[in-house]
Amino acid sequence: MENAAYIGLSRQMTLRRELDIVANNVANADTTGFKVEQLMVGTEVGQRARNDNIRPSASFVLDKGVGRDFGQGSMKQTGRSLDFAIEGEGAFFAVQSGAGQAYTRDGGFTTNAEGVLTTKQGLPVLGDGAPITLDPELGPVSVGADGTISQQGQPVGRLNAVRFDALGALQKSGDGLYRNTSNAQPVDAPDVQIRQGMLEGSNVNTLQEITNLIEISRAYERVTKMIENANDLSRRSVERLGRVS
Amino acid sequence: MRALRTATSGMLAQQLNVEVISNNIANMNTVGFKRQRAEFQDLLYQNVERMGSQSSTQGTVVPTGIQIGAGVKAGSVYRITEQGSPTRSGNPYDIAIDGKGYFQITMPSGEIAYTRAGNFAVNGEGQLVTEDGYAVEPAITIPQDAIDVTISKSGQVQVTTQGQTAPQTVGQLELATFFNEAGLEAIGDNLLLETAASGAATIGAPNEPGYGHLLQGYTEASNVDAVSEITNLIVAQRAYEMNSKVITTADEMLSVSAQVKS
Repeated sequence: MENAAYIGLSRQMTLRRELDIVANNVANADTTGFKVEQLMVGTEVGQRARNDNIRPSASFVLDKGVGRDFGQGSMKQTGRSLDFAIEGEGAFFAVQSGAGQAYTRDGGFTTNAEGVLTTKQGLPVLGDGAPITLDPELGPVSVGADGTISQQGQPVGRLNAVRFDALGALQKSGDGLYRNTSNAQPVDAPDVQIRQGMLEGSNVNTLQEITNLIEISRAYERVTKMIENANDLSRRSVERLGRVS
Repeated sequence: MRALRTATSGMLAQQLNVEVISNNIANMNTVGFKRQRAEFQDLLYQNVERMGSQSSTQGTVVPTGIQIGAGVKAGSVYRITEQGSPTRSGNPYDIAIDGKGYFQITMPSGEIAYTRAGNFAVNGEGQLVTEDGYAVEPAITIPQDAIDVTISKSGQVQVTTQGQTAPQTVGQLELATFFNEAGLEAIGDNLLLETAASGAATIGAPNEPGYGHLLQGYTEASNVDAVSEITNLIVAQRAYEMNSKVITTADEMLSVSAQVKS
């Protein structure tokens, strides 16, 4: 039947989606705390047209999910006292958003007029589950590797990182934020280090992404060629069989 | 094709990045200028297949799901308030701040603006003013017969007048500090305004704890580092190129599809 064309189409659809994801990776190559994504493509075995054990059944291509590489991004020194980077994989800063807690690797924080540590969008950053308030009178803020915040040598709070057992349950919601879609509660991550005056860049390897681009583009051409050939074949067979001689 | 728009957002973001970098380079020699940096964030995601949704009647759930991002946007452009290096000028009315704080300037509208650019002068009435002639707050008037003006580290302005040996104090300079300096709004002419994000100004004398001290005869150079700006420029250009490469690829794929015979 027209299996060849449909199989080709299934591959073309996944290739287009792969291109969308590569485009997003490249666009975010300079985004603080961005984690690179990749489409996971698998085989979907089609049903046999009839109960014929000799011919193998046709296999389609199906995208099963998006995989995220939560690997460490490169560290950039900024010299700003409210920039923080997490050194250690799979841990996040917790922030209080309108719809429950959200998690981020983007530690470019600021303070609001009341001295509460917030993200760039003004969402309060949580330290041990509660917002962190800094006292403007006490001057510079210094944060140790374990996240202890001190002003004038006195500890005033803790900026902690949390982690999940199943990172796959995290859903991106834009603005560098992740949301938890499972019932699992995040746990404290004492093994990671908080670096003050630094930001974590994205972990996008642009060379890899450009290679992916070339691959996607060529694969798309090949599949298109295959669909064309299948088309040609059926056209020619119709022509030949239909010839009255 | 979504990839086209995603890559466009990437190119626009890099364009903004180049604009910020070019403003930094253009202001390399601006007194008291603080360099800026553009920060980016990812745009919304479309859930093609939601993680956690059921994949069979047996109650198995999709572990990761498919989320496709829509590109990048500028998260913020903020000032990096690192100290600029004090540069000797020899002008007695040039005052650099070493450490935290801003001079207060009375604008013609009566509003108070803040600046790190301490390249002041005196006007016809002997008042200490900025390059644009806006008065420094608190007002300081230098008597006309002053021979020598000394501004101490802690902001005391003393003058020696004709025929007098002992200097007399004519005023005290003050500095304003903010909890969130990055929240100040730049209005050009080296001036900044207080906003809800910066919090209210705390006024104090120079050299007190939490305030910087003054250096007479110096100006504060900008904190723009030419080498790192050029490096950032190269990075931005390459990122721009790579996004355009994505557009080309998407375009090629569309054209391949368009050429399929029917």
